Amino acid sequence: MAGIWMRMKELIRPARLDGELDEEVGLHLQMMEEEFRRRGMSEAEARAAARREFGGVAHAKEAYRDQRGFPWLESFAKDVRYALRGLRRSPGFTAAAVVSLALGIGANTAIFSLFHTLMLRMLPVEHPEQLVAIHRTGGWGTGTVSLPLYRQIAGRADLFNGVLATNGVSKVRFVAAPGGLEEFAQREYVSGNYFQVLGIQPVIGRLFTGEDNRVPGGHPLAVIGYDLWRNRFGEDPALVGRNVIVDEQSLTVIGVAAPGFHGVAPERHTDVWVPLMMSHVGQIMSPNSWWLMPLARLRREVPLQRARAALDVLMQQHLRTIYGRSYDSAMRKKALEQRLEIREGSVGLSMLREHFGKPLGVLLALVALVLLAACINVANLLLARGAARQKEIAMRLSLGATRARLVRQALTETLLIAAAGTAVGIGLAAWGIRAVSGFLPEEAGNPFSSAPDLPVLGFTIAISLASALLFGLGPALRSTAVNPVAGLRSGGLDRAGSPVLRRVLVVAQVAFSVVLVALAGLFGHSLLAMRSVDLGFRNQSVIAFNLDFTNAWKGNLRETHDQLMKALAGVPGIDSVSCSFPWLFWQSVADASVRVPGSERTAAAPADVDIAYVAPRYFETIGTTLKGREFDRNDTASAPKVAVVNEAFVREFLPGEAHPQTRWLSLDDSKREGGERTSIVGVVRDIRQNGIQEEPAPRVYVPIAQSDMKWPPDILLRSSLPPQVVFQIVGNNLKRIVPGIWFNNFATIRERIDDSIFEQRLMATLGEFFGALALLLAAVGLYGVMSYGMAKRAGEIGIRMALGARRADVVGMVLGDALLLVAAGLILGFPLAWAAARAVHSQLFGIAAVDPLAFGATGAVLVAVALGAAFLPARRAASIDPMRALRHE
Amino acid sequence: MSTRETKTDILQGTLDLMVLRTLATMGAQHGFGLAQRIQQISGGVLDLNQGTLYPALLRLEHRGWIRSRWGVSGNNRRAKFYEITAAGRRQVEKESEDWARTVAIMDRFERLTETE
Repeated sequence: MAGIWMRMKELIRPARLDGELDEEVGLHLQMMEEEFRRRGMSEAEARAAARREFGGVAHAKEAYRDQRGFPWLESFAKDVRYALRGLRRSPGFTAAAVVSLALGIGANTAIFSLFHTLMLRMLPVEHPEQLVAIHRTGGWGTGTVSLPLYRQIAGRADLFNGVLATNGVSKVRFVAAPGGLEEFAQREYVSGNYFQVLGIQPVIGRLFTGEDNRVPGGHPLAVIGYDLWRNRFGEDPALVGRNVIVDEQSLTVIGVAAPGFHGVAPERHTDVWVPLMMSHVGQIMSPNSWWLMPLARLRREVPLQRARAALDVLMQQHLRTIYGRSYDSAMRKKALEQRLEIREGSVGLSMLREHFGKPLGVLLALVALVLLAACINVANLLLARGAARQKEIAMRLSLGATRARLVRQALTETLLIAAAGTAVGIGLAAWGIRAVSGFLPEEAGNPFSSAPDLPVLGFTIAISLASALLFGLGPALRSTAVNPVAGLRSGGLDRAGSPVLRRVLVVAQVAFSVVLVALAGLFGHSLLAMRSVDLGFRNQSVIAFNLDFTNAWKGNLRETHDQLMKALAGVPGIDSVSCSFPWLFWQSVADASVRVPGSERTAAAPADVDIAYVAPRYFETIGTTLKGREFDRNDTASAPKVAVVNEAFVREFLPGEAHPQTRWLSLDDSKREGGERTSIVGVVRDIRQNGIQEEPAPRVYVPIAQSDMKWPPDILLRSSLPPQVVFQIVGNNLKRIVPGIWFNNFATIRERIDDSIFEQRLMATLGEFFGALALLLAAVGLYGVMSYGMAKRAGEIGIRMALGARRADVVGMVLGDALLLVAAGLILGFPLAWAAARAVHSQLFGIAAVDPLAFGATGAVLVAVALGAAFLPARRAASIDPMRALRHE
Repeated sequence: MSTRETKTDILQGTLDLMVLRTLATMGAQHGFGLAQRIQQISGGVLDLNQGTLYPALLRLEHRGWIRSRWGVSGNNRRAKFYEITAAGRRQVEKESEDWARTVAIMDRFERLTETE
């Protein structure tokens, strides 16, 4: 211990210690001299003798210094200082290296942090590895099961050690104390055994049990998340037993969950848990309400295969009892095709993962390529730098430096570059994460934790160390493999920078760029194809929103909407107002069973069609064309029933009918010949209602006035006013008409469309960004190699020009050389790009994997970049003065 | 050159023991004094490069076997004095035993060659 303390002091005050040593040695010599003089030597003799006896003074001091402090640390510090000096001397090289690396590391950190949250991070619960998600496929909706089905699954104690259910997390209004301010909180409806199955303990109070989830509407209880308790209630232990208001329900807080637990959705952060039985969802007990996501603890002794088989049987029996009779055959077929899948559950339940998991894997591969390209770029820069320093290295080797020492020094430099690149990269990652988050729809949640994750940080440091080794070791070994004599004689350009190796690296860079640029082209073209799909309506700038109804107001749904729409229609600048249900581009569906008298299709059994309830001027508002007429004010509840059908309906039910407006259909499907008559008054174009990739299906539009209007519709506005102004107008009018009601999901249809294809937009944007990055790196690499090659061939070029070569010949020679490198890169890169394109094909829309446009553009862009990068060196080569070049030789 | 033949190079690692032994018996010494003692005790046959003493002293100090402080030498000059610590004394004991054992072993080999 004393030794370490002493070494530390030595490390801090080397100058003072040098002084002390000088003094000590001086005294020693002086005493020796005196001793010799006592023995009768002359002054000069005595001094010489003393020196001789002492041995080499400088050598002794040096040996002493070498031992002082932490020798390895000092030599490391020395290397660091040396490297810093060197880096400062060539700021261009340093900036290029650090920036390339920072871009690579930043991109990887950003994408990996998303990947980690969604795909890798285990839930902070007991034995997360035992958890499995039970996911319904086929049929309607995604993933969810009904309460009766959940109960059947949960009853299988032979398979599972407990099965919990949740209906996902949603943002709701929240009042911390009755009479207090209204805020928002993230609420999750959960089964009574939720916390027990997960093994979560309360901080205070208690958590739910099965007893808290028996009777619909009978358990006004809440468990509060730790973060909300800390931030909103100041960790007040008296919260237990008090009431909070969640989505207008007054609930008694029974406890606070343990810190660190935020629910089972990785991209969400639950604040309040409420028993399922308190759900607002109508008909929670119905086998047709799909709204629950089960998460189960698989018994250790049950093999996955057996659980799968057991669930298959269970599901088939369940479906048969429900859909066995009384449904039409098409619907029954669709219903019976549903299955229960068992999926990995340790990482929680995530809707975002469903959509985004695959693109995320592709992104991770893309950024890995970007980092590789960046590493190659830095390696290339280092080789060039090593070449420039051949003379210095040769000099140091001949002065006695060992090669190991020089390699260590070179590696210190690469470590510094990597460290700087990592620091800048982490900053870039934060920016990148914000950029990526901007693409996610609001309801997708926030998959990025605000605090830096340790595993993510570890990943970043690991990749930066790996890349430092990757780009640093080769050049370090290469540039120190110098014959001192030859190196000194040739003035540094002898085997400098190993031109072949550098050319190989550039070719690899070009090949990586080909992959990235081709993928960018594919994603870009795919997005373009999506954008050019005819949606069946033109006015994407229509503003849509819907009213958030309180329970007290639910009865007045129709009246409130009528009043509000009337008020808004009177505002100058608002051209038209309408409303509809289901909502446009909101993944909502409504269907109905119809008979079409005279149609073969419904002669035997009624058919299932999509249905939509719309107000007058709906088709005008969204901008579509219609044969016949739209609904108007006269189509009231008491007026004769009317409908507008789409072209797909006509194709399917009335093929070849020239005048569909003369026909009728019936929403009463009980009788073969139809019940109450609903006259078809118009035929509208096929409108893609839910998504660009949706295939148009038969749809019947009915006046909303003639429907029972159970759900709040979308209100649609066409206006020349800016959306913010419209937002204000809507707010003011709403406040006047029905105080206490707010509106949600205010956005233009264009924004909703954007949200519906956020994966494709994100992939196209990131693909283009990474492609551009790779191109830039390749251009830098090409430029470096070309200018170096040019400098080396200055003599040769001089001779050629002296022998009569024209400037154009020289330019052509240099450009041809660059094209050769690109050609090699393209030959290597295209098969790779083809394989990559095959891998992502399922995520492309409307184009083939080997898309001629994307691949052709890739080749053209790379050739253009090569010519651009080689142009400057070529011009410089062409302006060589033959006389000077030859004289230099 | 004649002196060279009679003087012996210091065996690697033995200088530390010599320094510790000297300090253990003679008490605190400055560098020159210590060098003089070592040469005296060796009977003048040791070829000690006195400069090598200082790295050795630093090494011993790092290990906590000796400590140093600035004091005043006999003729009123500032000098750095070295003295042995308790840990140093224990080390001397231990190394002396090791040394004795080594000597005994070597001795047997010597006798072996004699009897041959």
